[in-house]
Amino acid sequence: MNVEFIDIVQSLIDGVLYGSTYALIGLGFTLIFGAMEKLNMAYAASSIGGAYVGLGVSVLFSFPLVLIFFIGPIAAGVLSVLVYFCCFRYLPSNNHLAALMASIGGLFFIDEIISHETDGSPLDFPELGIFSEAYFEIEFSDMFLGFRGDLIFVMFASFVAMLFLLYLLYRTRLGLATRAVSQQPIAAQLCGISIHQTNSITFIIAGVLGGIAGCLAAASVGVISPLLVLPLTVKGLIVTVMGGLGSIRGAIIAGLLVGGLESVFLLLRGVNERDIYVFLLLFIFLVFKPNGFFGAEIDRD
Amino acid sequence: MDYYLGILQTIGVHTLLGLSAYILLLTGQVSMAQIGFFAIGAYSSGVLTVIFSWHIYPALAFGAFLASFFAFLVGFPALRVKGLMLVIATIAFSEIVRLITFNFVWMVEKDGIMVGADGAQGFREIRYFTTNGWESSQVVLLIWIFVVIVMAMLWWLDRVKAGAVLRAVGNDELAAQSSGIDLTTVKVAAMTAGGFIAGLGGGLYAHAVSYVDHITFTILMATFAISYPILGGTKNVFGTLLAVIFIQGILIEAFRFLEDWRLIIFGLIIILVMNFMPNGLVSLFNSRKSKKGT
Repeated sequence: MNVEFIDIVQSLIDGVLYGSTYALIGLGFTLIFGAMEKLNMAYAASSIGGAYVGLGVSVLFSFPLVLIFFIGPIAAGVLSVLVYFCCFRYLPSNNHLAALMASIGGLFFIDEIISHETDGSPLDFPELGIFSEAYFEIEFSDMFLGFRGDLIFVMFASFVAMLFLLYLLYRTRLGLATRAVSQQPIAAQLCGISIHQTNSITFIIAGVLGGIAGCLAAASVGVISPLLVLPLTVKGLIVTVMGGLGSIRGAIIAGLLVGGLESVFLLLRGVNERDIYVFLLLFIFLVFKPNGFFGAEIDRD
Repeated sequence: MDYYLGILQTIGVHTLLGLSAYILLLTGQVSMAQIGFFAIGAYSSGVLTVIFSWHIYPALAFGAFLASFFAFLVGFPALRVKGLMLVIATIAFSEIVRLITFNFVWMVEKDGIMVGADGAQGFREIRYFTTNGWESSQVVLLIWIFVVIVMAMLWWLDRVKAGAVLRAVGNDELAAQSSGIDLTTVKVAAMTAGGFIAGLGGGLYAHAVSYVDHITFTILMATFAISYPILGGTKNVFGTLLAVIFIQGILIEAFRFLEDWRLIIFGLIIILVMNFMPNGLVSLFNSRKSKKGT
């Protein structure tokens, strides 16, 4: 296959635009890790689960399909806080292993319930209306680069969600409490902050972010399937590691990077081999930069 | 009768898989890579008996050694990171191996038919046992001989200094390090041994069922592998065996009528056990258990 430079640039653009959903998922993992120093393996499952609930409710009550993008994230937030109560809240707080296993159990529980209810087959997910028909072309020194309208919307919506998150974390009392708990849980408790309440709010926020990411990812592909859960989990984890566990800007940058590289690998090596190289990237990071881009942030604490 | 022999096969192979995760869990490492080593063992020993017409024993040994070599290689970068990061790294490793088996094509013509690994179609016709006239019962016996050998060796390990070193690292890395234990050596050694056991299990599995493909090696199987020693507890090797019998024998086989609800229940069981017995099912039998989860 003859791959020209312009093809690589083009797939990089598509990938980076789509990568904003990975960035959102990575942010969710990072938020929860920052708050509790635990991994919530059920996170991507509850995100996709939320998108499914949104789709189901909208179809069942014949709501306008645009409502999916509101019901989905809310449902994902509810699922996420349920995961918190089932897999984190009542487990010994120093036992990371137990919480990890419990959330893996949650991952399979949600995943298998989705497979059971849909017989494992993918469902059509509404595309982004006028956005999916829009297509922009930019001439850039004798190269024509295209921008898919729906992917631009995906990135725009993700950035709005991220800005909202940053506002919540750095400009509200709620965010202050969340950051306090993540930095010094005991000191925060002594100041009258309820750890469990703050943690459950963190899970709700992360879940809503994940629900937005799940809806956007499904909408830009046009189908939703239980097969989305595991790849999204693994890529979200890779984004989290590459960005540095607990680092917000790291997760955003790593998400866009993983999306872009994945798309280039897809172009160069085909769909079957794409993920091998993405996962190998993780090992390169583990060897040369185990703390990720901005891992120093957590070392300082 | 064949049905029960099949269950015994499954339980035997899964016990090897669980024990390979058990030895790592002793050092406090949660590894999701065991299914990757299992896949390496299955494919490499399958290639040797099918394409190169090797005898079964050297093929199994080669598969196990190759898997342990990869475990050794993975051990170094993966063990630079601890705890939760290791889980992510080993998940990525298992997925890489699975995707490689998905893309792996190596077919040759033999007696007029194409044999070997055919990418997404999987690796069919690993027929060493049937062409050499082995009975199913002999295959089961072979698997269980290996299970007993591995269990005996791990049992013996717990009675010599090496076992104490493993558990010391698992209980408190800092304390172990200050008593002069080299953490990297111990962890990489445990990883290599775990890779060997998983590779052996993979080779046995491939030949016993005569067909493997990438769906055999998903994260679900990696979760099974690590959940046996966690559910069974790390007090001794029998906990793992009990957990395998409980999950594969009772949940998966005896409740066959529940169909796909079984996997939903599997998720639920993990959540419940972790909530009520964070140290594993063994705490049912022994209330004053010393080892804390890390």
